[in-house]
Amino acid sequence: MIVKFNIVGYLIGEGFRNTFKNKKSTFSAMLVMCISMLIFGLFFIIGENVNHIMKTVENAQAIEVFIKLDATDEEIKTLGEQLKAIEGISKVEFLSKEEGFERYKERYGDKSYLIDSYQSVIPDSYIINFTDLKLSNQVIAKVNELDNIKEITSANTTIEKLVNITNGIRIVTMVILVGLVIGAIFIISNTIKLTVYARRKEISIMKYVGATNSFIRWPFIVEGMIIGILSACISILIVGGLYKMAANGLLSSPTIQKLGITFVSFADMFNMIIIVYLMLGIGIGVLGSSMSMKKYLEV
Amino acid sequence: MIEFRNVSKTYSTGTEAVHSATFKINKGDFAFLVGTSGSGKSTLIKLILKEEEPSSGNIIINGKDTTFLKKSRVPYLRRSMGVVFQDFRLLPDKTVYENVAFAMYIVRATPRHIRRQVPMVLSLVGLSGKAKMYPNELSGGEQQRVALARALVNNPSMLIADEPTGNLDPETAWDIMTLLDDINKRGTTVVVATHAKDIVDRMKKRVIQIDKGIIIRDSEKGGYDSEV
Repeated sequence: MIVKFNIVGYLIGEGFRNTFKNKKSTFSAMLVMCISMLIFGLFFIIGENVNHIMKTVENAQAIEVFIKLDATDEEIKTLGEQLKAIEGISKVEFLSKEEGFERYKERYGDKSYLIDSYQSVIPDSYIINFTDLKLSNQVIAKVNELDNIKEITSANTTIEKLVNITNGIRIVTMVILVGLVIGAIFIISNTIKLTVYARRKEISIMKYVGATNSFIRWPFIVEGMIIGILSACISILIVGGLYKMAANGLLSSPTIQKLGITFVSFADMFNMIIIVYLMLGIGIGVLGSSMSMKKYLEV
Repeated sequence: MIEFRNVSKTYSTGTEAVHSATFKINKGDFAFLVGTSGSGKSTLIKLILKEEEPSSGNIIINGKDTTFLKKSRVPYLRRSMGVVFQDFRLLPDKTVYENVAFAMYIVRATPRHIRRQVPMVLSLVGLSGKAKMYPNELSGGEQQRVALARALVNNPSMLIADEPTGNLDPETAWDIMTLLDDINKRGTTVVVATHAKDIVDRMKKRVIQIDKGIIIRDSEKGGYDSEV
């Protein structure tokens, strides 16, 4: 076991030595990795926040279902039950003619006298909230099938826009992630290739003396991993710092405050980001270095 | 020890480098592989090292047919052979001691074994006092001695030398040859590929001559091109 430990130590030590010996290429690889991770982080954070804002909006977003004026109390009750049974509706609230009228008066403020004469045509209604805005269209379609409904008011277009934005951001984040991963693998593999090239003599000697491929490969894989992990750590610090500054800045802006928008705290996203970063870093490092080794192991 | 049975090697370019070579080098032998450049010498060495695969025929090393040896087993085959090259192939940023110890690290020797073995081999090749020097501080002959020490440090049963004196002046070349002879006398099989006529003539060892890929002569205690 002592011998084994010594070997592991040797391989890891060689990896560290390689990393810090080729400062220039290590630095450029880390730079590219960090930039990739930062761009990914940026989109991830925007995505998370839009999601978060959507949730807030979702809760506020309600549609009003007006009931036919001639519906009986029994029918109104049945409709309420039917609405509650629809999947995707989180809350159903009954609003009587009188309450509805009060709301309108509030909305018109000191000009409420204008609508006084319309009181008799304002029907009872149900206010419904969605569990998930994405399902809103399906839910509205289902509600439409029910009886005794006069009209449905909805902020359909707003909902659709928000859903589209979130989906868009998700797709863009994924595309960017894939692109960056491919790019970063390429860069890392080039960096390791430089190390491998600089050490091709050593590798060929190792092969002649009878070193196994894995013995030759490990230090380079360790090198890739070190670059990946270091980049991940640097990126998380930068992303965390920038995010705090940006969020604080935005929160103090009056517009944002008026809209009642809050941001996801960095701590809530930290776990996800660090996991993704480390996986990216290690994965890219290992893949990149194994790719660059192939050619030189054929001796 | 090393046995070629009807070995042919045609490269993917279509050149036939070795044609139906058959010879046997026994344990403890000292043999020269001679021929002009391009004659197929280097291919023979590569075939022994299993750096190249034969197109046909069988190569038996230490009693084992290596034709069907798995790729993953090749490193273990190579541990039974020490190799030196014309260009020494030392690591410039490592000292003499480290260059030799490096070969032991690779075969996972214990640190204690390394500390004992390296000075022993360095004294065998006559470099005891130069352990802490770097390759560029040494003469060509001394560099080749370091390469020899590295080849021998893991106690291989055979030593393969590809043009070991090609970069050395005649006197130094002769020193290296005598060293190889000493190593052979200690029981290691030695195979030397060379085109240094005077050395081969002077050593009076077995000579296997190859020309255009064909072994044209195999004589005990022969000269480089002694009349048949």
